[in-house]
Formats: sequence, C-alpha cells, structure tokens
Amino acid sequence: MTVETAEAQSFKHEGRFLNVLGLALKNAGLSLLTLTLYRFWARTAMRRRLWSRTSLMGDPLEYTGTAGELLRGFLISLPTFFLPAIFVLYIAPLVFDPATAFWLVAGFYVIGVPLVAAARYLMRRYQLSRTRWRGIRLWLAGTASAFAWASFGWTILQTLSLGWYSPVARMNRAKMMWEHTRFGDQPFEFIDDGEPPAKGLWWPFALGWFAFPISYIATLFIVFAIGAAIVGTGAITGEQMSANPMLAVGIAAAVLISMLVLILFCWAPYNAAAMNRIAALISIDGARFKLRAKTFSLFAVSLAGWMITIFSLGLLAPMAGFLQVRYVFHRLEIIGHPKFAEIGQAIVPEGKAGESLGDAFDLDMGVGVI
Amino acid sequence: MQTRYADGRAAITHVTTLDVGTDTIAFRIGETEHVWPYAELRRADDGSGRVILKRHPDTGERLYLDETDSARLIVAAPGLNAKRAFGIEGPGTIAAITGAAWSLAAVFLLAVPLGAGPIADHVPPRYRAQIADISWSQINAFTEYCDDSDEAARILNDVAYRIMQESDVPMRDDVWITIVDAPFPNAFALPDHSIVVTDDLIALAEHPDELVGVIAHEIAHIEHNHIMKNIIRSVGAGIFFDVVFGGAGAGQMVAIASVNLASLRYSRGDETDADLRGLDYLDAAGIDTAGLARLFDRFAEQERPPTESEEEADGERSGGFPTMLSSHPATAERAAAARARSREGLNPSMTDAEWQIVRAACGGVVLPQSEPAPTAPPNAPPTNQPPVATPLPAPGTKPD
Ligand SMILES: [Zn+2]
Repeated sequence: MTVETAEAQSFKHEGRFLNVLGLALKNAGLSLLTLTLYRFWARTAMRRRLWSRTSLMGDPLEYTGTAGELLRGFLISLPTFFLPAIFVLYIAPLVFDPATAFWLVAGFYVIGVPLVAAARYLMRRYQLSRTRWRGIRLWLAGTASAFAWASFGWTILQTLSLGWYSPVARMNRAKMMWEHTRFGDQPFEFIDDGEPPAKGLWWPFALGWFAFPISYIATLFIVFAIGAAIVGTGAITGEQMSANPMLAVGIAAAVLISMLVLILFCWAPYNAAAMNRIAALISIDGARFKLRAKTFSLFAVSLAGWMITIFSLGLLAPMAGFLQVRYVFHRLEIIGHPKFAEIGQAIVPEGKAGESLGDAFDLDMGVGVI
Repeated sequence: MQTRYADGRAAITHVTTLDVGTDTIAFRIGETEHVWPYAELRRADDGSGRVILKRHPDTGERLYLDETDSARLIVAAPGLNAKRAFGIEGPGTIAAITGAAWSLAAVFLLAVPLGAGPIADHVPPRYRAQIADISWSQINAFTEYCDDSDEAARILNDVAYRIMQESDVPMRDDVWITIVDAPFPNAFALPDHSIVVTDDLIALAEHPDELVGVIAHEIAHIEHNHIMKNIIRSVGAGIFFDVVFGGAGAGQMVAIASVNLASLRYSRGDETDADLRGLDYLDAAGIDTAGLARLFDRFAEQERPPTESEEEADGERSGGFPTMLSSHPATAERAAAARARSREGLNPSMTDAEWQIVRAACGGVVLPQSEPAPTAPPNAPPTNQPPVATPLPAPGTKPD
C-alpha cells in the first residue's frame, strides 16, 4: 500500500520561537561553562531541533550528524589550516621584515577566498549527507576544489566590476551547488527556463548599489545633527567627542546601527529577488519549487536576527539562523510531485569527519539555504 | 494518520499495524514480518508528540507511529524516553567536556609560562632584532628622539656599563640607553637590549641614584630575558585561545583581551625578580638604593586617588598615560624593599656636573636640583592631548 500526495505541497516549519530560544540559551550557558568547547554539541543539538521541525508532506527532515564528527573535523583542521594561519598571522610579523610579513598576510587573505569557498562546499556536503527525509539521505556530489576555483574567479570579476557581476556570480554559485545536490540517487537540476538566470535581479541590485551609500551619507548627517542639537552647538568637533565620551559612544553606536539597518533594508529587494529566482530554477524529477520572499518581511527577519545576535554578544546567533530557516520554509512550496517510489537510497558512503574548515571560518547553517 | 513504515530504500511510506510487545515491536509489510528489539531502537521525533523510530546502527528504515501506537510504546518501553535514545548527551558527557576544557586551560596556564623561558633563550638574535624594530617603530610614533641628548645618554650608558661590569652581566656590550621626549615618565627595555628613558622620568627624578635605580631594574629585565619571555607568553596565549577555544565568539575575545593585558606589563614574578636583581647591581656598584626607594615613594604618592581640589587643578589626570608602575598595587612594598638595603655614606652615582647635563637633555629641567619637590608631579600629560593619542604598546614595549 503506497501513500502518495496531492499536486502542490507546502513545506512547513513548526519551530516555535520560545522552544528554540530555550535550546539556544542552554547551549550558550554550556558553551561559556566549557570555554566554548561545547560548541560542537550545541551546533548539533540546534540543527537536530531545526531540521526536525521542518516537514514536507507531513514527514520531517532529520539531522543525523553527531558532535563527535564535528569535533573530529575540527581536530583535522588544526594542522591543515590553523598552524599555517598561526604562522602567518602571529609568527611572521615578528620574525620577518614588515614588507615580507605584509605580503605573507596579503597572500594569506588571497588564498583565503578560495579556501572559504571550499570550506562552504565541504560544509554543505557534510550537512546534506547528514540530512534525511523518510530515511533517504541527501548528498552533494562534485569536488570542493572545482567550486573553490570557480568561485575565486567569480570573486575576482565581482571585484573588478565594483560589484556589478554579483547577480551573475550568485546565480553561478547556486547553479553549481544545486546541480550537484542529490536526494538519494535523484539529482536536483538547475533548469534553463529560456531566460538568463539573473533575470529580474538587475533593478533590485542597482537599487541596493546606489541607495545604500546615498542613504548612509544622509544618515551620517542626521546623526551628527541630532548629536549637535543634544550638545547644543552647531557642529560636533573632535574636542567635544573626547570631552564627552557618552556623546562619542552614542554617535558611534547610532552610526553602526543605522549602517546595519540601511544595508539590510537597501539590499532586501535584491536578496528577496535572488532567493525567489534561485528557488524557481531548482527542480527534482520534474517537480519545481516556488519561494515567496518579500522585501519587507525579509528585511524584518534579517534585522531581528542581527539585533538578537548583537544584543546577546553573539551567544544567541543561532536564533538568527532559526528565523531565516523558518522564514524560507514558511514560504516555500513544491509544485508537482517527484516519483518518490523511484527515488532510492544513494550508494555513496556518508564520509566520516565533519566540517573542519567550516569551524575555522565560523560558517554555519541558516545562511545560504537558498 | 496511521502508523507508517519507510524501508530506507525508497522515499515512500507503507501503512502498517504495529504489535507492541514486552521487548520488541513487530509489524508486517506485505509478506515480510519485521521484529525490532527495543534495545536496537532510537528516536527521531519531530516535536509533534508522535514517535518516530529508527534503528541503531541506522539502516535508513523509519517507523512513523500514530498517536495510539506512540502512547502504547512509551508505556511498554520507558527506556526509549531516555536522553540517550534521542542522541542527546547526558550530564556525564557534559561534565567530561567541562573537565576537558578546564584541564586544557590549566595545562596551558602551566605549560606556556614554563615553556616561555627556554623558548625565549633560543630566539635567534636576528628575530630579536626584527621584533625590536616593531617596538621601535611604535616608540618613534609617539615619542621624539632628543637631538641634544647625546652627552646625557653617554653619561647614562657609562654608569650602566659600570654597574654591569661590577655584576658581570654577560650582554653588557649590547645594552644601549636612549633618551626620548615623551609626555609621561617611563623606561622600557626592548628586545634588542636597548633601554628607552623618557625625559619626564628624568624630570621626576630628584637625584641621580633615583634614575640609576630604574636603569638597574631595566638591565635586570634584559639580563633575565623577561622581554622575550613576555612576548612568547602573550603570543602563546593568543594562539591557544584562538585555536582551542576559537572559531567563534568568546574564545577570540578572551584571546584579544589576554594578549593586550599581558603585553602591557610583566608578570608580578618577573617584576620582583628584576627588583631584587636591580638592587644587587646597585649594591655591587656601591650605589645607595635609597634613591630608588624615594622614586617609588613618589609613584606611590601619585597612585593615591587625587583629592577634590587636586582634581580640579589637574583635571586631565584621569585621561592621562599609564605612568611607570602605576598599575602595580605594591609600589609601597617595593619602596620598603629598596629602603631596607640602603647604606649610608655612599657617593652619588654621578657627579653634580654629569647630573646637570643629564637633567638638561630634551630641553632640560628648569628647576635647580636643590629646590624642594613640587607638590604637583610634573608628569601630567599635556592638556590638549586627546585620549586617542594614548600610545599602544608594541609587543616588547613594556612600561617599566
Ligand atoms: Zn620592571
């Protein structure tokens, strides 16, 4: 007897804020108690919680990774990443002349770009391989180095074009990730719908590119004008700042917070459009996806996440990931249905060690679901 | 919703009827009878209240229980309610992680100070010079070399050499004293065995023995390689916290804080060590240690919180530079230690003429030597100095 389902099905995310907050608080407390060594267990528990609250057709996703795997990955990254990093960042400035040390550090950051990309890919592979639905594993095929070098090239183009290559680069990265994603033995596809992948992203991108600097400069004037009004003078001088530390702190905080708000707000239309576009191009076994991310709601969710992260001094940062994951799955639909009876378990082995470099760069889930 | 089974080979579920026994559950799919012992079961619940079962080790099979079966199973197999069945670590694991973390930290706290000495002694001179260059570039950034101080520096170096010869200090040919113009009284020993003396320290001293006492103390830091040891301790602390507890948040903040605090001052032990050794030098060279005691007294006097009227007169004091020893809580004890070894009837460490030359360095001190000490210490930083100009000590730039 086989249970199959209706035409259009929503994903659901049943995670409740207070429930997740409770886990986040427990994790934060134990992380402090263990001098952050608990972080591998904290991350695992949080993922298990978030995955289990996400469901498709009534059955939940399941996270099967363990803290031991993350710890092992971290231990592997010690000699391969941390020791070279220590040498370059701590030892080289002391034992080489300044010019050599500078070039070493600069070179390190250049190598860092593909390294971060590779880490992202490996982390995604690990997380997908530890994600099951109805007992069937997901997987990311392909090689991290191919993604790293391609991504490096796109980063160079983004830099040379002052950011204007970013929409294309973002779609390229999504394409590479999704074309290598498997559910069981079934590949996801990143389809060609006859239009350029970055279609519809250019106006929102232009909006962000122009609106952010303009509104930021305008805000600076307003902040300083308010500050001057409070102090009761025409303009704020350096002397007033040093004489009145509260004023300096207040202005610095206002400037930083307004910058964060403006970044999120000005780029929200672009981010929403890009997420929706990527979702629309993903397909598995003929089924398609539809995401309805909207500018204001996305802005509100991102801002809430940042505020929680900032005011908890980073301890409750996983809450930001939770808000983002819940936002995406609340608004995600699958259209048509894959022939689940034909989707079998892949024969690829799980792999042993966890995310290694992911820990080094503190890349975590939530970011880049879509 | 009925109880359903997924076989781990295809992403579909089959409705089935569950038989809950005392040690096992059993159900039938088509012709096949499945019997799962409780001991092999783990839970993969979704938080909705219904039980989802998998097997250990994971076969990919999943059993989605309906509400009735869920309730029956919980009664029949209470062991499946344990944290372990959910894959959640118990209090024992948490205690082990906590123990491991604090043991690592303890080992580190012991190992780095122990290792710092031997490592410091084996740093090649080339690297020492390199590190000193960094210190010098920072010193040059917030002080000015005094063009008129050559003669004064020669006098100080002569006294220092005399002291080191009496005590047979091995690196006495390397030690070199430089006088700089800075708005705070201080003396630093650098990794290349240089000693930097600020003009405000010279101004603060009322007798040559006071200044020479500080120089002796700095020489002791050099002889015992405290500078390199301190740098290695700081770097070690940064690396340790960055790597072991790093990756995210708290660890890095601890690292940053520890590196900055550690690089600001020597350890208490090194300071006491340098005090004792410095007094030995002075004794051996026939210099009265009472001079150093008087200078310590004056610092202790400055550490006293200012009275209200003083605060008005000296409003910039709080925003000023860290003065030599200012953070040291035991300045009075150090003064007492120096005073205890004082001997009567010794000659001053310099002639009057030499002392006048030293006092004249960097534009000189207006007060004649015999005049009583001014009530307000002459070390108050310039009033127009914004706080941002506070010098950031380089690695190897150790206030006192
Ligand atoms: Zn000292």
